[in-house]
Amino acid sequence: MKENNKLEVDVLIVGAGPSGLSTAIHLANLLNKDGEKKRIMVVDKGQEVGSHILSGTLIKEQAFKELLNKEEFENLPIECEVISDDTIRLTQQTSSPLPFHPPYMNNIGNKIVSLSKICKYLADTAIKKGVEIYPGFAISDLIYKDNKVIGAKCVDTGIDKNGEKLKNFQEGSTVFAKLIVLAEGSRGSLAKKVKTKFALRANSNPQLYSIGVKEIWTIKDDAIKKGEVYHTFGYPLESKEFGGGFIYGLGDNRVELGFAIGLDYEDPTLDPHALMQIWKQHPFLRNILEGGTLTQYGAKTIPEGGWNCISKLYTDNLLIVGDSGGFVAMPALKGVHLGLTSGMCAAQTAYEALKANDFSEARLSLYKKLIDKSRIKKELYPVRNFRAVMSEGLFVGGFKFGVQLITNGFCLLTPHLPKDSLSTSKLSDFKNKPFKERFAGKLEFDKKLTFDKDSSVFYSNTHHDEEQPTHLVVRDINKFSQININQYGMPCQYFCPAAVYEEHIDKSGKRSLKIHAENCIHCKTCDIKTPNDAITWNPPYGGDGPQYQNM
Amino acid sequence: MTTIISLMKQVPLPTQMRMGEDGLMDRTKAKSIINIDCSFALEAGLQLKSMLKDAKLIVCSMGPPSFEQSLKKAISMGYDEAYLLSDRKLGGSDTFATGLAISTMIKHLGFGKGANEDFIIVAGRQTSDGDTAHVPSQVAQNLDIPQATFIEHVEYKDGHVIAKRIIEGGYQVLKLPKPCTLSLTPTGIPPRRPSLVGAVKAKNTEVKILSVEDINLSDEKIGLSGSPTIVAKVVNIKSERAPVIMSKGDSVSLQVESLITNIKSGKNTLQKVEKKEAKAKVAPEGYERVDFREGASGILTWAELANGKITRPSLELLTPAKNLANSLEKGTKVRTLLIGHNVENLAQELIYHGSDEVIVVNDERLEEYRILPFSSIFAQVIEKYNPEITLFAATTAGRELAPRTAVKTQSGVTADCTGLEIGEHIDRKNKKVFAPILESRRPTYGESKLATILGFHCPQISTARAGTFEVPKRDENLKGTVSNFKPKLEDDDFVTEIIKTVRGDGGLANIFEADIIVSGGRGTAGDDMMLIKELTNALKEQGINAEYASSRPMVDMGISEYARQVGQTGKTVRPKVYIAIGISGAIQHIAGMKESETIIAINIHPNESIFSNADFGLVGDYNDVVPELIKRVKEGFTFGIKKGK
Repeated sequence: MKENNKLEVDVLIVGAGPSGLSTAIHLANLLNKDGEKKRIMVVDKGQEVGSHILSGTLIKEQAFKELLNKEEFENLPIECEVISDDTIRLTQQTSSPLPFHPPYMNNIGNKIVSLSKICKYLADTAIKKGVEIYPGFAISDLIYKDNKVIGAKCVDTGIDKNGEKLKNFQEGSTVFAKLIVLAEGSRGSLAKKVKTKFALRANSNPQLYSIGVKEIWTIKDDAIKKGEVYHTFGYPLESKEFGGGFIYGLGDNRVELGFAIGLDYEDPTLDPHALMQIWKQHPFLRNILEGGTLTQYGAKTIPEGGWNCISKLYTDNLLIVGDSGGFVAMPALKGVHLGLTSGMCAAQTAYEALKANDFSEARLSLYKKLIDKSRIKKELYPVRNFRAVMSEGLFVGGFKFGVQLITNGFCLLTPHLPKDSLSTSKLSDFKNKPFKERFAGKLEFDKKLTFDKDSSVFYSNTHHDEEQPTHLVVRDINKFSQININQYGMPCQYFCPAAVYEEHIDKSGKRSLKIHAENCIHCKTCDIKTPNDAITWNPPYGGDGPQYQNM
Repeated sequence: MTTIISLMKQVPLPTQMRMGEDGLMDRTKAKSIINIDCSFALEAGLQLKSMLKDAKLIVCSMGPPSFEQSLKKAISMGYDEAYLLSDRKLGGSDTFATGLAISTMIKHLGFGKGANEDFIIVAGRQTSDGDTAHVPSQVAQNLDIPQATFIEHVEYKDGHVIAKRIIEGGYQVLKLPKPCTLSLTPTGIPPRRPSLVGAVKAKNTEVKILSVEDINLSDEKIGLSGSPTIVAKVVNIKSERAPVIMSKGDSVSLQVESLITNIKSGKNTLQKVEKKEAKAKVAPEGYERVDFREGASGILTWAELANGKITRPSLELLTPAKNLANSLEKGTKVRTLLIGHNVENLAQELIYHGSDEVIVVNDERLEEYRILPFSSIFAQVIEKYNPEITLFAATTAGRELAPRTAVKTQSGVTADCTGLEIGEHIDRKNKKVFAPILESRRPTYGESKLATILGFHCPQISTARAGTFEVPKRDENLKGTVSNFKPKLEDDDFVTEIIKTVRGDGGLANIFEADIIVSGGRGTAGDDMMLIKELTNALKEQGINAEYASSRPMVDMGISEYARQVGQTGKTVRPKVYIAIGISGAIQHIAGMKESETIIAINIHPNESIFSNADFGLVGDYNDVVPELIKRVKEGFTFGIKKGK
């Protein structure tokens, strides 16, 4: 069996999100035009394509038009067109629409979509072109030879909590590929390893992230119209906290809403899930949601640092696309179209490499050239300092960003931002009101409008096999105790939106970490935000994790 | 080369079967999966293969073409070939017709007596959307090969299959020859994950689709015409729980006193209401009345023995048996078949509980229950006495003995009934009234519906859920006759060897059968659930069938075992009384216990959601309340549950 547990393909794409599928489709198109037969395989850790896809998506269709032919494009599953778009400033009690759209923010005419539906559709499209797609398989590691990537190994299954093989042990298959494209999404676990191993971050800033928490509701009649779009800023955030909410009317009494906050916040006790619940208690939201029912819940991180945080994205035999690369245009709150474009650039690069049978770094540097010529640079370069100046707060940042709009992004006094895990304050250094005091009285959840984390997680349909080593690895449990628990008060118990981390206090008062890995919804916040980078997110068994539908 | 044949069914994912707004189970939105028990059977097949030198693994299913995805999954796990019997004509088949169709397919593939006999069939114990557990036994009887059901573990040794069979309160180790059929419980080795290489292989392997014609099965033997039973009607059962009644009192002992008073007086428990359709059931005039019994008369029941005693469910069975006899012609007899070694002395006990005639089969080889000779004896007794109805308790033995016997008598079976009545069936199409007929009612779709099943072939066979009917009052004045029956048995009936039988305390198996479950949550972690266990033991000392369980955090902390975990990822239980102590009431936990008859919640936090899912509540500290409860139990308070034996 072992000898046979191997596959060989030409191109392996890890992740069936928009960028991975765009790579697959465009590459298949290019090869099919030449009548070339190459084996392109896509694997995804979700049980189905789309299971791990979450986004509050208003798409610009142009990128889809470039990827798909006319017929394919016309059949894209669209929820509806945006008919109105308002940006609302919230204070604790009031809500007032801005009389204008902030730059890049007008969405009228854009389409509201379910990104998981779109991905299912793109996967079907790719399969018709001869691409092989296997959801339900997670890659644990890349395989190297002479310090070059030559393949990938699937996660071994049938192992107990202590790492002992069980009777149903199944060794993960090995896939050898001439070229591997990492399209794992935000904070990809393989991309992270590769970037470190080959020092791909040498000439870029550390990536910055937000966490977005999202819910889908069925609401009472006419609480919000189909195609009605709102973005909120202000309450419950303070000016220095970067983030806001979105509310999209989907029709058929459905609404999707989400709340995002930049992970460069300081309060070690800040709880993004709770922020969303607090936000929902604002009269503006309450009016829409009251009397409705929550149907789905989820969360993911967004790599939002922009142009300055994009690392080198190629090395011998390997390319990185989409959110793993960091193609998000933050002022417009959009990344899907850039993910698609990065996939197309990668496909073009792969095509040339296949033709030349040369997958060297030199050959693959074409990817960078294509990106620089594409809409990615056009859209990201002028706003490259947006996220950095916004860290100074809405007013200073807003002013500086206004100036950048005139200067093509050039900005004096741009703050250099550290990675998010360094932004958290120690308990003793944090002088503002801690989260629980700041929102006292708003943290009792009624399970009608607002939900505690355990209840919310139920609506993510997440599931993990009981028998497996925990996929959340604490680097050094003693250090974790000294630093993360004692000095920081264990921020992971607050920032995790799925109640994975629990502070356990025993009879003697000793505090320790309990990990409920089975709750994990794969947002990767712990991998990003934990002080001292003490927690590493590894992929669990393929097929485990949330089962999002239409998120 | 041995062939391992796995029988597999695809079902809607149970957790995704949500109640729609109309109160109906919405199956359409549910994803399809391999039936859980069948997935354990698939793994058992793979395990057997690892012990056999070179075995071929094939997987068979019957159903619509959409089943192909699950058959492919079996291939991705390591199976070699997949066959799907798929034909519109099969629609409406009951378990009898399904068993026949599947065994005919297996014969068509070249296996069976007189053909290739070197095979082992592994199947799931039962399906989550049917819950009958009939088909494996029916397939085994149709192929005329030995069987073992409710199997947890299998091994292959020296040309034989060694199987661990779960029985009430214990287990049995059986040694079976080839060929044989095994049905697997979902408690052994969980199904392995497919490998990517396997998935690629599955994609490139064709599932061979067979039609009814392909396997030479005639149309009248399948579908509705081949099914001896029909589903006559399905009604919704609506579960309603009244708002919680909270205990009052200034001290712990007053609070506990108040709780006890509330429990004693309050009818606040789960009410299952049948939403009855107001349709008067009167046959229009001019309909022909059909008595399809053709001379069959009387009720036959089985007296199951354990440790030399008649089991409680077998005595319970005499209650519906007697009621049915009373609804039929005067003089309709209740007969009970008592099989064993030196068991004549037990016959009188059955008469005292209402049996009119006890048929005794005495044979030293029959000291322990064995499916082959017992089903043969049943068929012979049925032939001689020609009963119109035959009832078994739905125990692990009854649930295999009924279907295997039924194939011999060409009858249908209704599994796990909670209601048995005599009624009539109005056939409007053919303008006929079938009467009298046995109406067997059974809960289905996760207890959300009650289906009425009818059989048109005598004997009409049903199994009755243990604990549903009361044991009839013992009356030494009751008279009856005892007769002996000498069955014809063959050596082949004893090819399966019982290596050992272990019946003990039962332990974890009992969590499903306990009348009272004392369940501990996070609030009871302080003393590692010691008081929970003490309360459980105090109840046991009072003769109550009690077990302790826990919520998920306790298992995570290593305080309780996974087997005792109640909830979405643990077990679903429905005891008479569920006592939730220190449990907050997360949705995931509620999903596993909400069907309990009475729920009592004790928690120090008054706002926990457990209270909105309980009948009786008490706000108080675990460490104070539970000792008081233990004291009261020791004084004789048993939450309204009567002492068992």
